[in-house]
Amino acid sequence: MDSLTILIGKMPTILASAAPEGSDVSIFEKFGVNWPKFLAQVLLFLIVYMVLSKFAFKPIMAILEDRKQRIAESEENLKRIAAELEEADIKKGEIISEANARAERLVSEARESAEAVAEKKRNEATNEAAQIIAKAREAGELEKNQTMAELKRDFGRLVIDTTGKVTGKVLDDEDQEKINSEISAQISV
Amino acid sequence: MEIRMIQSASDVLVFEGSSPMLLLGKVSLMAEPFAEASPLGWLTNSVAVAAFIALLILWAARKATRNAQRVPSGFQNFFELVVEFIYSQVEQIVGKKLAPRVFPLLATIFIYVAIANWFGLLPGIGTIGFGSEPTQAALTLSADDHHIVPLLRPPTADLNLTLGMAAVFMLVWVYLTVRETGVIGFLKHTFGPKGGIKGLLGIAIVPVFLFVGVIEMISIALRPVSLSLRLFGNVFAGENLMHVMSNLADAYNLPAFVTFLASVLAPLPTFFLELLVGGLQAMVFALLCGVYIQLSTAHDEGESH
Repeated sequence: MDSLTILIGKMPTILASAAPEGSDVSIFEKFGVNWPKFLAQVLLFLIVYMVLSKFAFKPIMAILEDRKQRIAESEENLKRIAAELEEADIKKGEIISEANARAERLVSEARESAEAVAEKKRNEATNEAAQIIAKAREAGELEKNQTMAELKRDFGRLVIDTTGKVTGKVLDDEDQEKINSEISAQISV
Repeated sequence: MEIRMIQSASDVLVFEGSSPMLLLGKVSLMAEPFAEASPLGWLTNSVAVAAFIALLILWAARKATRNAQRVPSGFQNFFELVVEFIYSQVEQIVGKKLAPRVFPLLATIFIYVAIANWFGLLPGIGTIGFGSEPTQAALTLSADDHHIVPLLRPPTADLNLTLGMAAVFMLVWVYLTVRETGVIGFLKHTFGPKGGIKGLLGIAIVPVFLFVGVIEMISIALRPVSLSLRLFGNVFAGENLMHVMSNLADAYNLPAFVTFLASVLAPLPTFFLELLVGGLQAMVFALLCGVYIQLSTAHDEGESH
């Protein structure tokens, strides 16, 4: 505190000695400002200013501007791509729904067609089965008739043989004919 | 009590009794030439550092832009970061229209001043030099008991540089203002009534705006002075502070190792403070220049906004 008081007390003396000592010493001289030194500093600053402006800031600003433009273009592209994507999504949805409709139509057509084919095949099978049954029946009938004829013939022969042996009589053709027709009539019944 | 004769405003040492009481600083107010009496009298320790910084900036700019790629990497990346940061600041102040024209000057000011300020914090800058006394005219380190002529001095601690930059800025400012608003437009802008007041009140208020215009002209005329002195004052004060902190323990009769430790440790907080001040002052100088340009072209820009 004492030191500060002494300093403050001596301040006028200090300031007086710091100020120009005579009227011939200007403030510029006190600070060492003169034209050659001033111009040297100005020249150095101007050189830095001009060289930086032309060879540093200009190319860097051009690059920054170019980058800014590219970013803006990229953003535009991004927006366009997003719009296209949205459009493509809509189109995709449309195509998918159209495909679904077509598929459903095809499936129903196929089902109808399959049903028609199945019906046709079923009818054909039924007809074929009926034909097979009829044929089988005919064959059965034919076989039955043949069997019956054979049976009649065999039975007739057996009766004739038996009658001949029992009666000891040789049967002529008229007798055999008579016996055969009686046996045939009885077997048919 | 004894007060030692002061060589410069910053070379103040107050003694109480026989022990030093307060050391205010020992940095010369002016940059000192290497050979004052020769034609190279302009080549001061500050001009030398300024030239070195100029070369350093140009080398760095070339390194950053030599093979500039669309996708940046390495130093180009850093340089672009700085350029973009400054450009956005400039654009915010002066508007989109003027920004491309104003940016190179303001960016140069910012980069040049910031590097110059920080360069002064490097060890040896301002502390290694020649003794001013004939018997001490050998390369030496700074000491509190004699004045030295530093080999290197931070350029922004030289009023020639700060004044020179301010002068260049004012020329560009005049050019831009006249180009944007015209001489008549500038005079109208400065002296003309504002606020759209019409009628008798509008006429009555004209002298007030004329007076405001005169004050504005004085303020404009003082801009280079305020710009240059602010920067010079801050950096010069910082240099003094660093010297004082480095030599703080010298004022007391302490053991040598304590004095050494104090000379290393005491300036550390100041060092970080000066790092901050260096960047801040560069920003202040550049932003004020931008604001001055914006103020003089405001109505033109304002209409376009």
